[in-house]
Amino acid sequence: MSPKEPMDTPFHNPGWAGNTGEFDLTEDQVRGDDFVGSRPLAGAHPSSSASYPYVLVDKHPESPLFEGPYRERFDKILTRYPDTRAALLPVLNLAQEVRGHVSPETMDRVGELLDLEPAYVRGVVTFYTMYNKRPVGRFLIQVCTNISCNLCGADEVMDAFLRYSNTEPGETSEDGDFTVIEAECLAGCGFPTCVQINSRYYENVKAGDIPSLCERLRADGK
Amino acid sequence: MADHADLPETVTLTIDGQQVTVPKGTSILHAAEQAGTQVPHYCYHAGLSAPAMCRLCLVEVEKAPKLLPSCVTQVAEGQVVHTQSDKSLTMRRGVLEFYLHNHPLDCPICDQSGECKLQDYAHEEGRPHGRVREPKRVFGRDDFGGDVLFYGDRCVMCTRCVRFMNEVEQDPRLAVVERGDRSIIDTFFDEGLEGTNFHGNVVDICPVGALLSKDFLFKQRAWDLSHTDSVCPNCSQGCNIELHTRDNLVQRLRPRPNLDVNGHWMCDEGRLDYEWINRGGRLEVPLVRDGKEFHATDWKEALVGLVRELGAGPVRALVSPRLSNEDLGAARALVDQLGGGDLVYRSRRAPEELVLKGFPKLARRRDLAPNVNGADLLGMSRVGDNDGTGGLEGLASHDGIVLVVGDDLEDQPPTFGKEAALYVFLGTHSSEAASHAHFTLPLTTFAEQEGTFTNHENRVQRFWSGLPAPGAARPAWLILWALLAEHTGQTQPTRPEEAFVTVSEFGDVTYETLGKQGVIVTPPTRQEPAGAIGD
Repeated sequence: MSPKEPMDTPFHNPGWAGNTGEFDLTEDQVRGDDFVGSRPLAGAHPSSSASYPYVLVDKHPESPLFEGPYRERFDKILTRYPDTRAALLPVLNLAQEVRGHVSPETMDRVGELLDLEPAYVRGVVTFYTMYNKRPVGRFLIQVCTNISCNLCGADEVMDAFLRYSNTEPGETSEDGDFTVIEAECLAGCGFPTCVQINSRYYENVKAGDIPSLCERLRADGK
Repeated sequence: MADHADLPETVTLTIDGQQVTVPKGTSILHAAEQAGTQVPHYCYHAGLSAPAMCRLCLVEVEKAPKLLPSCVTQVAEGQVVHTQSDKSLTMRRGVLEFYLHNHPLDCPICDQSGECKLQDYAHEEGRPHGRVREPKRVFGRDDFGGDVLFYGDRCVMCTRCVRFMNEVEQDPRLAVVERGDRSIIDTFFDEGLEGTNFHGNVVDICPVGALLSKDFLFKQRAWDLSHTDSVCPNCSQGCNIELHTRDNLVQRLRPRPNLDVNGHWMCDEGRLDYEWINRGGRLEVPLVRDGKEFHATDWKEALVGLVRELGAGPVRALVSPRLSNEDLGAARALVDQLGGGDLVYRSRRAPEELVLKGFPKLARRRDLAPNVNGADLLGMSRVGDNDGTGGLEGLASHDGIVLVVGDDLEDQPPTFGKEAALYVFLGTHSSEAASHAHFTLPLTTFAEQEGTFTNHENRVQRFWSGLPAPGAARPAWLILWALLAEHTGQTQPTRPEEAFVTVSEFGDVTYETLGKQGVIVTPPTRQEPAGAIGD
């Protein structure tokens, strides 16, 4: 469990689910090697935006909503719901995927696309915590600080992330790589401390793992 | 409803030990009102949908497993409801304690103080002391634009304002933003309520001091205001309002429910256009012109002097659609007595109606005066343009009797009425164009007299006097009927209800049959004025 060991070594990586040590499997074998970036290329959960393959884009706050494959996914989302009001949540997901966060301009544009009042869109966006209301770094690190993780050192993990990225909670590091926030229970109570980085879970994380984990994130993107 | 009138479906239930019989489908809250019990509530408003989210109107219903929200629970046969039982009271005390958890308790500097539901309920049923030890969360205040100021800390999240903008104004600019104890009412960032025409109503329906009127901010304390039932004088819709007065001034206008006319609402233009009622520099005594000089005199001398001058002659009269039906009727009676003549009026017209989408009966009508239909009904004709100016060429140089009642002649030159054999000017304010008047007589405004207006659908509605008349100013009907009494030697009306029944167009309608809700006297016959007046 030493943080020095490379993270793709079977069962020595503390950072992925199902690491019980009983099977001689790599993470890629468990998860599939298409699991890159923040969304699986195929076979995503049906609740995610229209179950389309994830298209890796450079998230930019000014990116157009929605063009090319995103336009297709947007149209597909609309077909799944009786009215545009119901389609608001997945469309906002999609918008966040393109732009990295949901800015006031994004809310306005989404409201325009769905023929909804911008005030209503703002109400929805601010209600749900998984929409980023401000720009976040390349890696959004959400550290679970609920009871199980907290008993197993979540506070130290949180501190270690903040020290490494030299930020306060919610701030983005100067190089634009890391934003660290506390999260409520990530439902990984069996593997504390649980950390969600973008859409990926890292489990059994200890404070000592952080520097190597972060360096690997910078280098490989996962 | 009419189809089922022969099948009265009613439900009998017991509320606080009292049997009440109400129509099927009534909510417990309304049934309790009939039984004489007011159930505390925030989110429920008669003009809006009921989300049952404030949890304050929960009442104990026997055989129900839990307390039920009385605003949405329909009555059932044989139901036994306790609104004042231990269980209900304990629950309300608990809920109120939560409401006060983050409340700043700044009643001494809050405009709502005195008409605040949180204050009332906490005083009646809340805990005598708070138990909060934690710091309170603080939002500060936000300018919503228009006439609305938002104090986030005082908000109880009843969402009446959000539902008003969604359902009634149908321009959903307000939303609940954020979640949990950080949730707050807001618009889309800086968008605000600017540009909507009925947003002042969110201030009225806010049960606490979260939404306040900028116009009324820190102006008066609610308990100092006198309330007088009245009718909005700013357009021909005739919204039922209350005049809130103090220090002999109208301080604000508030809508008064009348489901046939304005529901629970009124428009912002009407609401905020009241300063003209308070305009100073009033005519306070009758003035008699002697050569170039005006002499102040008393009513007796003025009227006797005037009667002496009144000869039969061609009369031309200008009246105002801001006068009451009684005033217009008296003016017509006087003109008829003098041998008949032209009776005209001028009125401002707005370019378009502003309709309240969720309650389309209510609109800011094009005629910006309350009694245009009254004048039409009494056979008076309209002159002038859409700004309420011009159209008086014949009158200005008339050489017979010129009678001006209520119109302030602001656009007319000082030579107005120079040729007249007798020029009588009745008004609230003097005017340059009245400088040739032989008699200048002081009038009251609608706020200082009792009377009726006829609205756009010929509904005659009463209003009451909320302010004392300045000096010797009197209602036009009283002056004109006194003049007639002096002139004819016969007894004439001396009370508004007597003056009202002299107008034959109103048939057998009396003040008693009008009540507070008004009566439609005859279906409107007036067509939209033709292009002649500059449409």
